[in-house]
Amino acid sequence: MLDTWNNLLAGFVTAGTPINLMWAFVGCALGTAIGVLPGIGPAVTVAMLLPITAQVEPTASMIFFAGIYYGAMYGGSTTSILLNTPGETGTMVTALEGFKMAKNGRAGSALATAAIGSFVAGTLATILVTLFAPMVAEFAVKLGPPEYFCMMLLAFITVSAVLGQSTVRGLTALFIGLALGLIGMDQISGQVRYTAGIPEFMDGIETVLIAVGLFAVSEVMYNALYEGKGSADMNRLTRVQMTPSEWRRSWPAWLRGTAIGFPFGTIPAGGSEIPTFLSYATEKKLSKHQEEFGTTGAIEGVAGPEAANNAAVTATLVPLLTLGIPTSVTAAILLSALQNYGIQAGPQLFQTSSGLVWALIASLYIGNVMLLVLNLPLVGLWVKLLKIPKPQLYAGILIFATVGVYGMRQSSFDLFIMYGFGLLGTLMRRYDFPVAPVIVGMILGPLAEAQMRNALSIGEGHWSVFWDRPMSFTLLAVVLICLVLPPVWSAVQKKRASN
Amino acid sequence: MSELSATSAPPRSATQIGIALLGLALSLLMMWGATGISSEAGYAGVGPNFLPWVVAVFLAACSAWLLWESLTGGYRNLPEASGAEHADWHAFAWVSAGVLANAALITTAGFILSCALCFVLAVRGLRISQGDAAGNLLQTLKDFVLGFLIAAPVFWLFTLFLAINLPNLTGTPWL
Repeated sequence: MLDTWNNLLAGFVTAGTPINLMWAFVGCALGTAIGVLPGIGPAVTVAMLLPITAQVEPTASMIFFAGIYYGAMYGGSTTSILLNTPGETGTMVTALEGFKMAKNGRAGSALATAAIGSFVAGTLATILVTLFAPMVAEFAVKLGPPEYFCMMLLAFITVSAVLGQSTVRGLTALFIGLALGLIGMDQISGQVRYTAGIPEFMDGIETVLIAVGLFAVSEVMYNALYEGKGSADMNRLTRVQMTPSEWRRSWPAWLRGTAIGFPFGTIPAGGSEIPTFLSYATEKKLSKHQEEFGTTGAIEGVAGPEAANNAAVTATLVPLLTLGIPTSVTAAILLSALQNYGIQAGPQLFQTSSGLVWALIASLYIGNVMLLVLNLPLVGLWVKLLKIPKPQLYAGILIFATVGVYGMRQSSFDLFIMYGFGLLGTLMRRYDFPVAPVIVGMILGPLAEAQMRNALSIGEGHWSVFWDRPMSFTLLAVVLICLVLPPVWSAVQKKRASN
Repeated sequence: MSELSATSAPPRSATQIGIALLGLALSLLMMWGATGISSEAGYAGVGPNFLPWVVAVFLAACSAWLLWESLTGGYRNLPEASGAEHADWHAFAWVSAGVLANAALITTAGFILSCALCFVLAVRGLRISQGDAAGNLLQTLKDFVLGFLIAAPVFWLFTLFLAINLPNLTGTPWL
């Protein structure tokens, strides 16, 4: 406990240097901006900025990237409330009540409860990270390759098969991601696979290339192809403040949202969609103002999900830092940023790079305060971003995509591949294939393969190593449940509906 | 209403079959590639060719499943895709031209000019997709200036501040 405290203080010293404060601030501001802007999210923004890992030292860039990550969650709610087009998937639920509130002239209250709720949840979640992450890391040191492999398997299955409309489409996306991860040199034997003799493929396909192609370029293409005619009306911004009664209704919702969001962030359940929906359902059930839900807009319906969202986002850092397992797309890209530095995320991280980890955690506290200031008094500034006309905004995104992809390897060949992935992403979006499994599969795939082969080495070639050990057996059982339960559940529901 | 959806169904399901076949082709290609990968296993019992086979086989299975779905009434639980029903290929062509021209020209024209060109072409496409006029010569010039004003600071930030190499036209870190 005292250790944690000392480490955290040391973290504050590192994070508090002017240069690191500057990175945190730029990250938070940029994160808020891209959160507000449609068409570009935190994952792809961090991906585009991966080239800076070649020059900027790891602590500064991780502080920067983390600022973008949770800054985007603050900014995303602004778009949800004012435009009803969520800036981020995690703020989808916020749009349900938030937009209705704004329509009824209460945009300011909705924005205030979203920003303050995000701050409360973000800070509480950071405290939980501070307390739990070292404990998890200590426990995780004892885990061997079989357990790691099973945990990664679980991450694969939950991100692809559990979420979304269709298990088969999710799994298809996952295997495409795994296939992409195979390209290049095998980690263990050095054997070259699937390079087709193209030297650019020797080191594998860059993460930034896939992420930018699938998210940014495809977004622009999809827009040109299908969404040009759509237009959205913007709600009027009112004074960002809450009445005493709104405060009273908000704070229990913030706390409940945090309690729901945090656990979901720590398990590989695909980010913040489930906890935000759960929180919304909870608030709707508990509220004394049922009549406001879906009509004039209930403030609990904004406060709860927003808190859940931020708590979940912060909590994704626990599995990322202690186990090296990303539970969201952005976390996967943060993992690949660490890999660029040759830093292995996992339980050893708390020993080998303890300075970096604690500075990162300290910067979360600082960043949340910065974001509260950026999003409460200055919200009007960000709203102006929504006035950028769509053609210019989307064409501008292409310029940033170019700098990210080209800056990584200085290869114009990569820009053609990026175009190809743009096409793939457009097709996937049109036919409802989830994109997250591709990214998680390609980044986590090679790591999972290495763990699997190491595990088999330990087991002297026997597969039984995966079910002889109690921990990995349990994990395997959970994987099976995750695969079998959703189809069975929907079959039962269907039967019940027909009866 | 049902007649309408019945007539609009065929092109959509044709693409669905196409996606499934593409997946199958990819998995076959992977299997063919996997035959050329060493199976040298060492202590592990599985070598570098193991995962390629696993991925190829599962991808084939998923694609076959998708093919079956697409032949028997289309993909299951497919939500209504967002946006218009028909694609605006005219707009798409301009955006594509922008990205591809950028890829082709970036090393010779330099980052700033190449990106400004990409911006001009893409903005034109996106404007067409909104149903607006594509723009005359003056508008195109304005777009180019705007593209330049976006690309130039990005370029300077990366080359001067972060010391990351981006291609230039003049041999200086300024253009």
